[in-house]
Amino acid sequence: MKILLAEDDFVTRKFMTNFLSKYGECDVTVDGMEAVDAFMMALEMEEPYDLVCLDIMMPVMDGYQALMGIRNLEKERGIAPENAVKVIMATALNDEKNVKMAFDLGCTIYSGKPIDEARFEQALQKLGLIE
Amino acid sequence: MAEDFSVEGMLDMYLFENRQLLEKLQETVLDQKDADCFDEDAINEIFRTMHTIKGSSGIMMFDEITEVSHKLEDIFYFIRESHPENVPHVELVEHVLEVADFINSEMDKLEEGGTADGSAKEIVANLNTFLASLKGENKEEIIKENVHQAPTQFYIAPMATASSHFFRIFIRYAPDTIMANVHAYKIVFALKDLAEDLLHYPEDIISDESSGDYILENGFKILLQAQCDMEKLQEIIQEGYEITKVEMEEITPQIFQMGLDAFGISADSIIDLDSSVEDITKKEKDQAGAIAPGMFVLPPQGQEAKPAEKKEFAPGDFVIESKGPGKSKKLAKDKATKQDKTSYISVDVKKMDQLMDLIGELVISQSVVLQNQDLKIPGLRLDNFNKAAGQMVKISTDLQNVIMSMRMVPLTNTFQKMNRIVFDVSRKLGKDIEFQMIGDATEVDKNIIEHISDPLMHLVRNAVDHGIETTEEREAKGKKQKGKVTLSARTESGKVWIGVTDNGKGLDRKKILEKAREHELLDPTRLDSSYSDKEVYQLITLPGFSTNEQVTEYSGRGVGMDVVVSNLQAIGGTLEIDSTPGEGSQMLLKIPLTLAIIDGIVMQVGSNTFVIETGAVKEFINIREDSVIQKPNKEEFVMIRGEGYPLLRLGDWYGIADCETDVQKGMIVMVEADKECFCLFVDKLIGKQEIVVKPIPDYIKKVQGLTGCTQLGDGRIALILDMAALLEE
Repeated sequence: MKILLAEDDFVTRKFMTNFLSKYGECDVTVDGMEAVDAFMMALEMEEPYDLVCLDIMMPVMDGYQALMGIRNLEKERGIAPENAVKVIMATALNDEKNVKMAFDLGCTIYSGKPIDEARFEQALQKLGLIE
Repeated sequence: MAEDFSVEGMLDMYLFENRQLLEKLQETVLDQKDADCFDEDAINEIFRTMHTIKGSSGIMMFDEITEVSHKLEDIFYFIRESHPENVPHVELVEHVLEVADFINSEMDKLEEGGTADGSAKEIVANLNTFLASLKGENKEEIIKENVHQAPTQFYIAPMATASSHFFRIFIRYAPDTIMANVHAYKIVFALKDLAEDLLHYPEDIISDESSGDYILENGFKILLQAQCDMEKLQEIIQEGYEITKVEMEEITPQIFQMGLDAFGISADSIIDLDSSVEDITKKEKDQAGAIAPGMFVLPPQGQEAKPAEKKEFAPGDFVIESKGPGKSKKLAKDKATKQDKTSYISVDVKKMDQLMDLIGELVISQSVVLQNQDLKIPGLRLDNFNKAAGQMVKISTDLQNVIMSMRMVPLTNTFQKMNRIVFDVSRKLGKDIEFQMIGDATEVDKNIIEHISDPLMHLVRNAVDHGIETTEEREAKGKKQKGKVTLSARTESGKVWIGVTDNGKGLDRKKILEKAREHELLDPTRLDSSYSDKEVYQLITLPGFSTNEQVTEYSGRGVGMDVVVSNLQAIGGTLEIDSTPGEGSQMLLKIPLTLAIIDGIVMQVGSNTFVIETGAVKEFINIREDSVIQKPNKEEFVMIRGEGYPLLRLGDWYGIADCETDVQKGMIVMVEADKECFCLFVDKLIGKQEIVVKPIPDYIKKVQGLTGCTQLGDGRIALILDMAALLEE
């Protein structure tokens, strides 16, 4: 599985990379802009990501913007919703409005931080990303 | 950790919404439990409710809840689409309630910070059988299948912080260490592998060389959030060549949240960062509508058609403009929760009680000020004082009213619970019972609700179990087959009256007396016939009394009525029992509406002061001596406007010396209790005043006719009279 991680904070990034590497090859970016760039690049090379993990509060472009960017790129390429990349928003912003906005924008999993690994795995299973 | 959970917005929202849905659902179901089938609206409502719960539980990944709601949704989908005949209605009602109970109990666990780990297998199996039987009976119809969409979005709650530990670490280096900042950085770097969150001071240890000197002088401070334990940390940070001292302690998340303030340092950059987040939000609000740079212009495609609500955030609000050291996320989180808590707060009931007590004290000290002896010096000009005093009285009255109203809660929920009990018990016992609620919107003090829930449950169970006869018995007696239990509430003269009425067989006087003799609860010298009905009925409230030979699952274990009475007494209430053999019985709970402050008339008898609640007083009368009639047994009556009322001389009654004996010189107070009027004779009236009711201290033995005492403005103690108790005499 190909995973893209966007996280600006070094400590969390390191932690998340360790965590996500269990499930597949993990590319790391430090802000939303880079994440969208990386996503675009992968599409061009026809090696798209299976999972994108976005932080919300990031410099240059935040997680919501990155999510919109990714969904727009997919739309423009005519990728069907069922084939769209699964996007995880991982953040400490847990209130209902934020979660709702993320879901409206097309986020697949919204996870509070610190990440609950067991449930995270459960969600990945449900999405059919892991066995 | 429960508190950590309650601030978790999504879960809160989930619980709150589902609770409301289920409450509504239960109401609808119980409303129509006696009908032959659910009407169209109800079917749609249950279907929608289950659909919503299924959806949100799916997102939250509560699988068992998703599963049961899914199954029930299926059943109602089938009913809605295929309109099957002969749906066993009561069975269906039971299934719906079972599901609601299951979901509620799971949500209870979640609310307490646990996990929803209950298994719904049995319920699901039951539902499957039920659905299959429904479909079986309607074979010829084409059955449309309910199409389910598996949830495509998931929400994962942040892990319980219980497993994260928080540490405060203080390191001191040997004074001759060169480039202490680099040594410090090495430690920070090593910790980054474990850390979920990390703060240190000084912050800039990489580019700022002077930080090395600072560290040598003041030490190096670290705040760490990690999953590991202290031993692991000690392995990483060891005292050694340069490090002379390491202090490590585990701290609470609250202290951690304080950031570097936990060390007593105010870190400027953190404060800056905080305000900058606010600035961003503010700026964004100012230019509402304007498209933030870097935003992709395209309307968001909502998966589920949810009504658009005013958005306070938009993508782009969360861009960190200048990335400073330290953790910005924590700050943002704190802010978000603060914003959420504007509309409602929940308050510890203890604090409310405390507030109530304080108001009571305030009222007393107010009267101490306003009726101060110093003001009674002749010749004082008190115009301004009186004006100010009037204003103060007004404010303190308002204050009382506000606090009272804060504590007032309608009885609806409590009554609704009883509805459920009637349904459950009557089903189990095979009785057909109608339940009626009257005045369920009556508001009472929260404290009262807590105290009457259990007594009421006992009484309702008793009514269903013992009161209402079995269907055969009813038929044999020529009564309507359907029994009826009525729960009523009203407020009258400062009291809440809650009645549990049934139209069953009523209490059996003979049986009660027999039983009482058996348990030696009666005076052996008195004849059965000398007991009044009321006295006999009161016997059942004695400990260890039960008339029903057959102990059932629901009542009749000999505990109950005495518990009911003692529960009521705790809040100053009483239980009245009334019964007509063959026609039913009524249990009437009378509870003082407010427990603390009443409006009272203060009067004097001899050197004692008494208070009567204003609501109980009908009128004050001066009479002539010849209106008093004495019966041969010394009982006195007063003739007022051609009617005779019993007269009670308070002074004689309580044996008070130097009290007025001439009825023409004193004052007659006509009072009403239990719809009966009688007259009290007192020396003189003092005035009307707000009275803070204090319980009579335990060391004073129980005196008939008193409910409590209070302190008056001049510091004297006044006794508060209980009309109902006086009437009994």
